[in-house]
Order: sequence, then structure tokens, then C-alpha cells
Amino acid sequence: MTAAIEVRDLRKRYEGVQALDGVSLTVPEGSFFGLLGPNGAGKTTFISILVGLVRKSGGTAEVFGYDVEDDYREARDAIGLAPQEFNVDRFFPIREVLEHKAGYHGIPADEARERADEVLKRVGIYEKRDTRFDWLSGGMKRRFVLARALITEPDLLILDEPTAGVDVQLRHDLWDLITELNDGGTTILLTTHYIEEAERLCDEVAILDSGRIVAVDSPEDLMDRGADRIEIQLRNPPAEAPTLTAGEGNVENVELDGNRLVVTARQGGLVAPDVVRELDREGFEIVDLEISRTSLEEVFVEMTRGQETVGGEDEDSGEDDPEKATAAAPGTSGGAGGDR
Amino acid sequence: MGVFPTGFKTLTRREILRFVRRPRNTFVPPLITNVLYFSVFGVILGDRVGQIAGVPYILFILPGLVVLGAISNAFENGSFSIFHGRWNEYIHEALTSPLSYSQMVWAYTLSSALRGVIVGIIISVVGAVFTSVGVTRPLYLVAFAVVITVLFASFGIVGGLWADDFDDLTMMNQFILRPLVFFGGVFYALENLPDGPLQTATLLNPMFYMVDGVRYGFLGTSEVNPNLSLAVLTLMAVVMVGINTVLFKRGFGLTD
Repeated sequence: MTAAIEVRDLRKRYEGVQALDGVSLTVPEGSFFGLLGPNGAGKTTFISILVGLVRKSGGTAEVFGYDVEDDYREARDAIGLAPQEFNVDRFFPIREVLEHKAGYHGIPADEARERADEVLKRVGIYEKRDTRFDWLSGGMKRRFVLARALITEPDLLILDEPTAGVDVQLRHDLWDLITELNDGGTTILLTTHYIEEAERLCDEVAILDSGRIVAVDSPEDLMDRGADRIEIQLRNPPAEAPTLTAGEGNVENVELDGNRLVVTARQGGLVAPDVVRELDREGFEIVDLEISRTSLEEVFVEMTRGQETVGGEDEDSGEDDPEKATAAAPGTSGGAGGDR
Repeated sequence: MGVFPTGFKTLTRREILRFVRRPRNTFVPPLITNVLYFSVFGVILGDRVGQIAGVPYILFILPGLVVLGAISNAFENGSFSIFHGRWNEYIHEALTSPLSYSQMVWAYTLSSALRGVIVGIIISVVGAVFTSVGVTRPLYLVAFAVVITVLFASFGIVGGLWADDFDDLTMMNQFILRPLVFFGGVFYALENLPDGPLQTATLLNPMFYMVDGVRYGFLGTSEVNPNLSLAVLTLMAVVMVGINTVLFKRGFGLTD
């Protein structure tokens, strides 16, 4: 099966900054793939290379087997992008904006109109169809960029921080919608700051840091790499923390906090019974036991800790790529400069 | 699909609708400006100037004003549309679609050229209200109108790709376009200039050949061979469209 995204040794250098430093990644067709990384890690640069908004400095990038530069038309036709920054045509009502986008992808006018109505209903803003983008609320704008990504019925849907700054209800609506799309066979590439979102939705997650992939795995397996916390309350605590032999090397630390013994261990669920048995043998009476699974967020923080990030700025301000911030002085203010 | 691909037609249509739906910004200003030009230069001053190159002054400046309006608007449309799209990043809607680079360039060029042609027609109609003017060589007029608006739409696109802010657009219009127009034979004939640098400067100004060609279309008289002018201008237009296609392909001003 052809991969939805196949990149090898992908590099992007802006003046003085290596935004992507040899990224190799395969996103299988039909998967729900998460791309996590701190601000400035290179996530938006990665996405932008796929759709042709950033030119790579080296390496190869293919979408469904089409090279993003040599076969750019086929590659772009396969992608629906809902970017983090709102880059919507402000001259036309939103239904017309959707019709135009569909038309650019070769969809005839009649069908484009039907699809526009359909996707507006699907994201719940059909009643605003004759409104211009600037007059939509923040949540509606977020829904609209998703509708725009969907109108071409893409095989690969790329969502760059789709739930940034939206309320809980909308977040759940969006989750339901994209899960439904993925169930229907659409490959989803999701970047997010909300680790819970990746944990909940993604089959596979790549962690990107300072332009490099530091891990690719399922959220479950990634969490197995982190250390769980086993808290054991003892009726007769010792004077100092005992040395445990249980856990086959998975135990990383043992601390005594009053009558609570805190054991930090990888794969805590598997280690806990052995620890309990050993304590029992040693004559300790166990009153209570609690295992806290490490979260993906903790694993994420651990993996990206201490790395100097490329941008260092808040990604919500569109400054994932430092160069973009300057190049896109064209870039932010809606409708500035009047109409000529 | 027809002769033209749906994507190209959609982008061209979008670009045309953008200026057609905003006549207050696009068509009314040249209408008012040219009523003033014809009133002041044609009627009030024209009587004092008398005949120039064998025709009344108001009739002499009419083709020049048509050229001035047509190319200014073609330029402004091309530069504004590209730059505003970059500034608000909605040009990404086209850039991330499967349109080929040449389709994008032709869509922006032809729609901007059309705005120039429409403004040229408006100015001609205004001129016809002030003086009796006919079209002696209609095919030449159409050919020159198309070629010069395509050429300046292309210049506008380069400007829109190059500009970093709105001041750059104003600067291009004020400091490049207008001097070329005013020293390009809109308001005077070559024969009115003394031999020397002024004549040479005018002959080196491409605007002179454009005005002269359009004047040939309207009045049937020209100071240089209109076929040669048309051939050179057509070549320039084709080269500019080619340059723009390369710029789009390289992502000049469009991609990081």
C-alpha cells in the first residue's frame, strides 16, 4: 500500500535556523496520525512543505506517491488543509469561498455549490453561508476552515491545531467529525498542543523536537516508555525506603514519604504485583495501593525537555517558523490596506 | 470541461468578480478623474493649445488618457490582488490547489487586463461625450488594448510579488508608472519636442509606442510604425508572462 505521506531526510533551513533537520517519517494510508512538538519544533514547516507553501532545502517528500515538487498538482489535489492561521478570502461570502476552492480543484460549478452547502451543514454553519469570513465568531471561523478543507473530499486531511482556542463543546464536535472521516478511510494528520487530543484520537504519534523526530509510536507504547507511579500505603513503615529487587529492572526509584512508599517504575501495572509480593514477604502490611499511569503529556515533556526550540515563540501567533514571521509581515491583519 | 480547465476558469472568475463587485473602488475613480482631465486639459486648456499633430488637442489626448487609465488599472489590479492575497494569506487557497503555475499566472493576468480594458472603454465613452471621436483602425485598437493591458497586468503581478507593504505599491505607481506615462507622449507629440535628450528619452520610453499605437487605432495617424510597436509590445508581454510563471514556480514572494 502506498503511504499517505512518505518523507525522507527532509530538511528546511531558514537564514541561520535549521527548522527541519533530516526528518524521515511514514504516515500510513487510512491512519490517524499525530504530530506533536513544542513551539517552533517544525510542525507547521513540515505541513507547509507538503502543500507547497514552504520550499524544502533537502530530502524528499511524497503524498500518496506523488512528489510534492515534481508532481505538485497531484499531491496538492489529494490534500485538504485546515491551517492554524486563518487564511481565508475576505472578499466573498463563505459559501462562495468554498465554491472557489472546489473550483480550483476542478470541481464543476454546480457540484461545487452542492458540496459547499453540504459541508457548511456538516460543520454547522450553513445559516451563515452568505456572511463574509470576518463576521464569523472565532468558533465559526474554526469550523469554516475545516469545511474548506473538506470540500474537495481529500484523501489526506491535515489539521494544524484544529481545536486551538475553541470551547469544549466545539472541540468535541470537531473530534467526532474527524473521527467519522477517519473511519470512512480519510488519512488524518493532526498537529496539536493538546496531548489529550492525540492520546484520544491518534493511532500513531510522532514527536518532533528542534526539527528532528525523537519518537514515533502508538500513544500506548509511548506511554509505556514513561515511568508510572505506584503508591503503597503501609501500616508499619520502615525507617528508610527498602531496596526492592522486584520488577526486573523496571523500577527506577523508591522513596518513603511518611507511611507511603512511592515506587517509580516503567510499566507500573506489570511491576506492582511483584512489588506487593516482595513487600509482603518482607513483612510489611499493605493498607492501600494506587497506580498512576504516566500520561502522554509527561512522556512528551520528558522527551522534549531541555531542548532548545527553533522558534521559541507562541505558535498560536503563527511564528512556528521564525522566517515566516518576517516574510509574513504580509500575514495577519484582516483586510488591511483597503480595497483597490 | 470545455476549452479551459475548471480551476483556471474559477480563479479567473473570482478575480473578475472581485473588481466588478466593487465599482466604487475600481470604475468610479477613473470615471471621475477622466471627466476632470477632459474638462481641464481638453476643453479649458485645449482651446488655447489649438491643434497638435493635425488634430484638436482634446482629440489628441484622448488616446493617451485611455492608455493611462487602462494600464494604470491593469497594473493596480495585478499588484493589489497578488499583494492583498499575500498580506492576508488567502492566496494560499489557490497556491495549495492543483492549479498549474501558468494557469495561476494567466488567470491573474487576464482578469487584471480585463479591468484595464473596461476602464479604457469607460474613458473612451467619457471622451466621446466631450468630443466627436471615431475608431479608424478597430483591429489595431483592440490588439493594442489587449497587449498593453496584459503587459501592465504582468508588471503589476511582479510588483505584487515583490512588495513588502502597501507603501511599496503606492511607490511603484507614483514613482515609476506615472513618470513613464507623463513623459510618454500622452499630452504632447514627439514633433513638439526639440531635438536632443528629451526626444531620445521619449523614444526610449515604451509608453510612447503604446500611446502612439492606440492613437493610431482611434485616429489613424501615428508617429512610428504601429506594426513594429505592436510586435515589440507583444514580445514584451509574452516575456513578462513567462517571467511571472517562473516567479510563481520558484515561489518568489509566495513561499518561504
